[in-house]
Amino acid sequence: MRTRVRAGEPDAFAELFDAYAQVVYHHAFRLTADWSVAEDVMSATFMEAWRRRESVDPEGGPLRPWLLGIATNVARSHCRSNRRYRAAAAAAAEAGPASLRIPDHAEETASRVDDRRRINATLTALSSLKRAEREVLVLCLWEGMEYADVARTLRIPIGTVRSRLSRARTKLRRLAEAELGRTKRELTPRTRQVKGDRTHAIRSAEEGIR
Amino acid sequence: MNHTSPSQPHPAEWPETQELLGAEERGLPAGRHEFHKEHLMAQIHDDLRTTHGTPAAPAWQRDPQRDSQRNPFLRRNVLLPAMACAVAAAVVGGFALAGGAGGNGEGKTPLATGPALTTQVGTADAKAAPELLNRISLASADTSGPTVDDGQFIYIASKVANTYPRTVDDKTTVVSEELHTRQVWQSPDGKDGWLIEPGQTSGQGITLAGEHPISAAYNSLVKLPTDPDALLKKIYQDNDPSKGVARDQAAFVAIGDLLTESYPPAKLAPALYKAAAKIPGVVAVDDAVDALGRHGVAVARLNEADGQREEWIFDKKTLAFLGERMVQAQPPEDGPIKRGTVLFTSAITERAVVDGNKQLPSQVG
Repeated sequence: MRTRVRAGEPDAFAELFDAYAQVVYHHAFRLTADWSVAEDVMSATFMEAWRRRESVDPEGGPLRPWLLGIATNVARSHCRSNRRYRAAAAAAAEAGPASLRIPDHAEETASRVDDRRRINATLTALSSLKRAEREVLVLCLWEGMEYADVARTLRIPIGTVRSRLSRARTKLRRLAEAELGRTKRELTPRTRQVKGDRTHAIRSAEEGIR
Repeated sequence: MNHTSPSQPHPAEWPETQELLGAEERGLPAGRHEFHKEHLMAQIHDDLRTTHGTPAAPAWQRDPQRDSQRNPFLRRNVLLPAMACAVAAAVVGGFALAGGAGGNGEGKTPLATGPALTTQVGTADAKAAPELLNRISLASADTSGPTVDDGQFIYIASKVANTYPRTVDDKTTVVSEELHTRQVWQSPDGKDGWLIEPGQTSGQGITLAGEHPISAAYNSLVKLPTDPDALLKKIYQDNDPSKGVARDQAAFVAIGDLLTESYPPAKLAPALYKAAAKIPGVVAVDDAVDALGRHGVAVARLNEADGQREEWIFDKKTLAFLGERMVQAQPPEDGPIKRGTVLFTSAITERAVVDGNKQLPSQVG
């Protein structure tokens, strides 16, 4: 495959697209919090991969990390500021309730709400990180990459991968409890108080940075 | 800080991330995989022609703005406008329209553009929609659908045009392509096919082969339920709203994709129309013009997010399906596109089953 990609065989790129379009799309969503931008990033990633085909190492395994590295760069140019990421994450969360109003299909709604809740939790968590931390975490967590692979993919030292992850973990730890409390509240009728003031106080602070 | 030490395990093992994994992953919206793949393959073929030193088309045949100007928001089988005369007037003399064996090697067959196509926005009537769709459904039950065997291909020819904003020297104008022929071949499993369309491909065309089947593949249409309620339920399930598109709009667009550049089995078409009648927000439109200039009635739905209305156009008397178009029915919040602009239009001119890829119906027998 690497040889064919380097040689610029159109069929190789057709296969590459079929195999990884979805993967790149999801990766781009995690980095941009916007499905529409993610689609643009996905498309641009394969165009860029085509242009940079000769940069592929002749030796190596699947081309997935190579594509994800390109996608990360492309996404960076689409979503420069963290403020914009948070705005997109908030918008994605807003879009949820409108799409749930289908009385005829009530049986689907419960699982949908649950999915929505987890997506929102994910976006909130990713929003709390700096872009560089987010990129490293997304590659480790969703792509299951080892630190060395992440370092190679993003062309950064492995020590940088570790330090970014360490900072990310600290932020997530602070957020996790608040997030847990918040999602439990959402699943419960508003009239019932679930948690004490402590959770509420953390939640307010967390909302403040959105 | 050593990543092998227990104090710093892999992020997948952190308690902090356990809530994050497993969230729902949605697929690309219907048709988008094919759209982007087509676009990529067209670009690759274009580049190969240039880098291989094949003589490029003469400057007068090429429109440098065109290549990078596909409006990314248009769906692939989205096409556009009605008043062919307006476009025809703007066609630069000397263009060879594609579709045939013309074109130049691997380059794209050039495609002229003209002023943006516009139309009268027909009056929408929500109450009339169920009755109109019921009549359309009955009429479609009288027509015969295809039977497609392995090895055969569905051939669909249409007249299409797209509208998109084009920027030259920082000045953006909205232009429409000249009305042109689009020819598509689809294998029954949706994993093989061919496309010939000026502006997108050369006269020889490009392959549509791939692992990812097209959404309107014949084999998958055959498997869809023909009970309207069951069908609608499946369509809602398969078309998760993405990009903030509400479910009803996504379902309507999905049904449109199955009806337009496809060849639905005889029993499916009536069910698709009956299913569409159950989607909230679907309206009847008293007057709509297809890509060939034929006036008809339309079944439509406004996408409130962008003010664009997708219209399926039917013959007023026979209620036969003529084509589809996308109209800017409400003024957009911003951008250069005005109300009444036809964003794409497509009229189906021929559907047939042929015995091989790239084979024309006239070549059969």
